[in-house]
Amino acid sequence: MKTLAIELRKEKRTGIVAVLPIVGVAGAAYAFANFMVRIDSLLSLPMAPMDVLLTQLYGVIMMLNLFGILVAACMMYHMEFSGTAIKKMYLLPVSIPKMYLCKFLILTVTLLTAVVLQNLALVKIGMTDLPRGTFSMSSLVAFAGYSFVTSMPVLSFMLLVSSRFDSMWIPLGVGVAGFLTGMALGTSGIALFLADPFVILLMPAVSMSARPDAVIVLIAVLETLLFLGVGMRMSQKVRDE
Amino acid sequence: MDYIITTEQLTKKYKNFTAVNRVSLHIRKGSIYGFLGPNGAGKSTTMKMLLGLTVPTQGSFTVDGKQFPKDRIAILKEIGSFIEAPSFYANLTGRENLDIIRRILDLEKDDVEDALELVGLTEFGDRLAKKYSLGMKQRLGLAGALLGRPPILILDEPTNGLDPAGIHEIRNLVKSLPELYDCTVLISSHMLSEIELIADDVGILNHGRLLFEGSLDDLRQYALRSGFAADHLEDVFLSMVEKDNSERKQRAKL
Repeated sequence: MKTLAIELRKEKRTGIVAVLPIVGVAGAAYAFANFMVRIDSLLSLPMAPMDVLLTQLYGVIMMLNLFGILVAACMMYHMEFSGTAIKKMYLLPVSIPKMYLCKFLILTVTLLTAVVLQNLALVKIGMTDLPRGTFSMSSLVAFAGYSFVTSMPVLSFMLLVSSRFDSMWIPLGVGVAGFLTGMALGTSGIALFLADPFVILLMPAVSMSARPDAVIVLIAVLETLLFLGVGMRMSQKVRDE
Repeated sequence: MDYIITTEQLTKKYKNFTAVNRVSLHIRKGSIYGFLGPNGAGKSTTMKMLLGLTVPTQGSFTVDGKQFPKDRIAILKEIGSFIEAPSFYANLTGRENLDIIRRILDLEKDDVEDALELVGLTEFGDRLAKKYSLGMKQRLGLAGALLGRPPILILDEPTNGLDPAGIHEIRNLVKSLPELYDCTVLISSHMLSEIELIADDVGILNHGRLLFEGSLDDLRQYALRSGFAADHLEDVFLSMVEKDNSERKQRAKL
């Protein structure tokens, strides 16, 4: 708890904590605007209204979340490297892996905030704009959880990458390249490509159904834990070596 | 003798390059130990090993009877350090930077003001650290090391980047520390003229090897025995380094 409080204090004036909630608000605004403008064309698609609500807006919301994650993760370690503050941390009686874990938790909570804000918008749209009796709260909660879990491997991966490079531009470049690989490989249907966290992120977007896929959830959880474990392990090793 | 830091045949190799070569240091409790050597002599590497920033290839060391990596947290609680360049969060003010360190060390709020005052930064405490001049950053780094008045201070060329008045001020501060609160200081420099004004003992390092260790009086005796004028210790130091360099060249030729 002490390390978490210290981490939050370190982030003063960086805007890290605000990035993903702002993305959440932007995603919610996009959902409202899109449904307001395209309600007729969206509801005339050959899909269940609930699937329309959840899958047809998700593509842009996912992209917003992705870029929010990239920026927040890069800023998280840019703050440590810009004044070489991380070097001082290695000279203090503080657990560096614990520090890494706290950074991961902060990003996770801010991403969760974004997802909640976006899905609150979907709840409002679903209750007011979908045909009577078609809105299902349980489907929305399940899809919200699914989209959150499938976003986590990218978050975990990007934090790992940003912790390894002094220059913020390298993890940012890796993130953009990762996004392109996700776009290129996401629809291939080849199971091996699920090892790419950016492909996992895209899974809810390329699916025509809003039903969560248990295998994808399992892979997402495993990848998240794997990148987190590797990141914590690597953070233990002093970069001066 | 009551030594607080001892190293035994401490060695650090990077592939074919030996940065520190079988160095055995003996730092007395409550003393100021000047660690001298030209740039690249291995001073910073030795200090980094003492702080657990780099792992020795061979040899061992103890800090107040404790050893790395087993007692890492306990050792770092006892040491205030300043290595190479000042490290700080650019987005925070000087005071906020020290507050982060204070919270990690579980110290009182007043300790931040105490450290700022010791280095003369009180009036600039609320300025963003990234807007500090080089000298002010150096002072902030020192304040971070002095926070909570730790029993051991490891300072790597702390006067780098300071103007003559700043050098004088920091030198006087370092000199006063053991009396002020009973601490031990290991301070490195490449200038004997600076170290001889504050240190009780010196260790002279060149190309990773310890050429001399002892008190300043011992160094004066050594200078007399070697035919140098004892009142010009800087010349002794330079000659010692030069002699070692030429011997190295000879060995390399063979």
